[in-house]
Amino acid sequence: MAAHGGRVGPSGARQAGWWKRALTPERIAPVVAAAFLLAVWEIYVRTQLPSFVATPSGIVMAIPATLAAPSFWFDAGESLGSIVMGVAIGTVAGILVGVAMGRVREIDWFLSTYIRALYALPLIALVPLVILWVGYQPEARLTIVVISAFLPVAVTTADGTRAIPKDYLDVGRMFGAKTHHVWFGIALPTALPHIVAGIELGFARGITNAIAVEVLASVKGMGMSVFEKSGQLNENASLVYVLALAIFAVTIRTLMIRSRRWIAPWYSR
Amino acid sequence: MTTAERTDTFWRRVRQFRSARAGWIRVACYASSIVLLLGVWQALGRSFGVLFVPFTTTMSQLWEMLHGGPLLPALGVSAKLYGVTLAIDIVVGVAVGLVLARMKLIGAALEPYVYVLYATPTIALVPFISVMFGFEFWSRVLVAVVISIFPILLGTLEGARSLPRQHLDVAAIFGSNERQLWRDVILPYVTPYAMTGIKQSIALAMVGTLVAEFFLNPDGVAAVLLQGTTIIDSAWVLAVTVLVAALAVVLVGIGELIERYLVRWRRTAVG
Repeated sequence: MAAHGGRVGPSGARQAGWWKRALTPERIAPVVAAAFLLAVWEIYVRTQLPSFVATPSGIVMAIPATLAAPSFWFDAGESLGSIVMGVAIGTVAGILVGVAMGRVREIDWFLSTYIRALYALPLIALVPLVILWVGYQPEARLTIVVISAFLPVAVTTADGTRAIPKDYLDVGRMFGAKTHHVWFGIALPTALPHIVAGIELGFARGITNAIAVEVLASVKGMGMSVFEKSGQLNENASLVYVLALAIFAVTIRTLMIRSRRWIAPWYSR
Repeated sequence: MTTAERTDTFWRRVRQFRSARAGWIRVACYASSIVLLLGVWQALGRSFGVLFVPFTTTMSQLWEMLHGGPLLPALGVSAKLYGVTLAIDIVVGVAVGLVLARMKLIGAALEPYVYVLYATPTIALVPFISVMFGFEFWSRVLVAVVISIFPILLGTLEGARSLPRQHLDVAAIFGSNERQLWRDVILPYVTPYAMTGIKQSIALAMVGTLVAEFFLNPDGVAAVLLQGTTIIDSAWVLAVTVLVAALAVVLVGIGELIERYLVRWRRTAVG
């Protein structure tokens, strides 16, 4: 605590107080910017727009009531459960297909036309087709999330397992590695950082497409509620849902980045 | 010859064949995969009935819709939205990326929120945007831009931030003024980074266009797609989906070509 004054540090050198070191302009700036933006939003809506439009203060006030409603937790369970499950299924399928494509040229040539065409296609364009085939059901959402995760994981796994250093293969051969050892013992671990990047992309696309299916097919869930609440002019509650979705998305992203650092500390993007 | 030896020679022959005839095998794989898909599609379509029509029916439907049908005007509407969106993405994305990178304080102030907004499923903001700005053209553009701008913005930001100090020092030693510095040092250095982002945004702008058209009073190609689901006409929906897929492949291909051209002098470094 002696450092408070800034001059009486043990070394006697010019030592800034902890608060001075913590409050660098770079740290203060985001807070100031947030306060400014929120104030502009609040004032603009209050003075220019009708009262049902969401304001920061209104959103904060709406949080307790929204979280207290059982329907919020039902929606969250439905949407997030289906997203997590869909990404899990898509990831497993994507890894299997991706390793095969990465390790066997012929399989790559055979499948790449479709995988890459579908990968380029905005999957939201597939939503009407999936709704038509699967029906106006929660399964339509699951299907779209599975596809959303499968494609990026398959592509990144294929890229990652194709480009393994020749040395690894040579060492593996010398120790008598069989094909499945090469696939799942050498290629797959080498490609892990790529695969995690693919899963990350799969989650991002899966969340967006899940919301799209919910709205277009009237499937109950968080995305549906965002639009429904807004339609009932309950804008503040609608944005509480958006906030919850954003927190989910940011959490997933952070987890993915963490896990990539943990799995492959040597790898940086 | 033992069985083991026999299988060994067999696999060696296979391996020799695979490397000696790689070109032919490649063509054969591509050709057979396309033939197989169309064949399976045709066969399944014949047995499934209404929900999954054969390939030939889909194509004739597409032909019909393009000639005097609703598809061509709808494509025009979507193309306009797409073009405006992508133009704004590139101009605003590069500009904001450069500003955030070169002006330290503004960058520090706004960067966390840029990342949060990037991670947020922006499709969920559509109702909010429509309440604030309405359902008209510029509101659609805003939705599409919010969905597709971030790869360009963040790519430019990362590129400009990684500009080595020495480049600036050398430019200063040779007495370059501010304009020369930007034209000869900063912009060429940032181009590959921005281009990687632009390539992603070319694809994302399609997503943005479709989202804006699906969710702000249906319009354009998305409206045609929705019409197909409402009347439960799978030929209709399949035809439009195939067309969108073809367009997506072409656009992404163009993006890759531009990137390869702009980044040709840096190919080894980018890898």
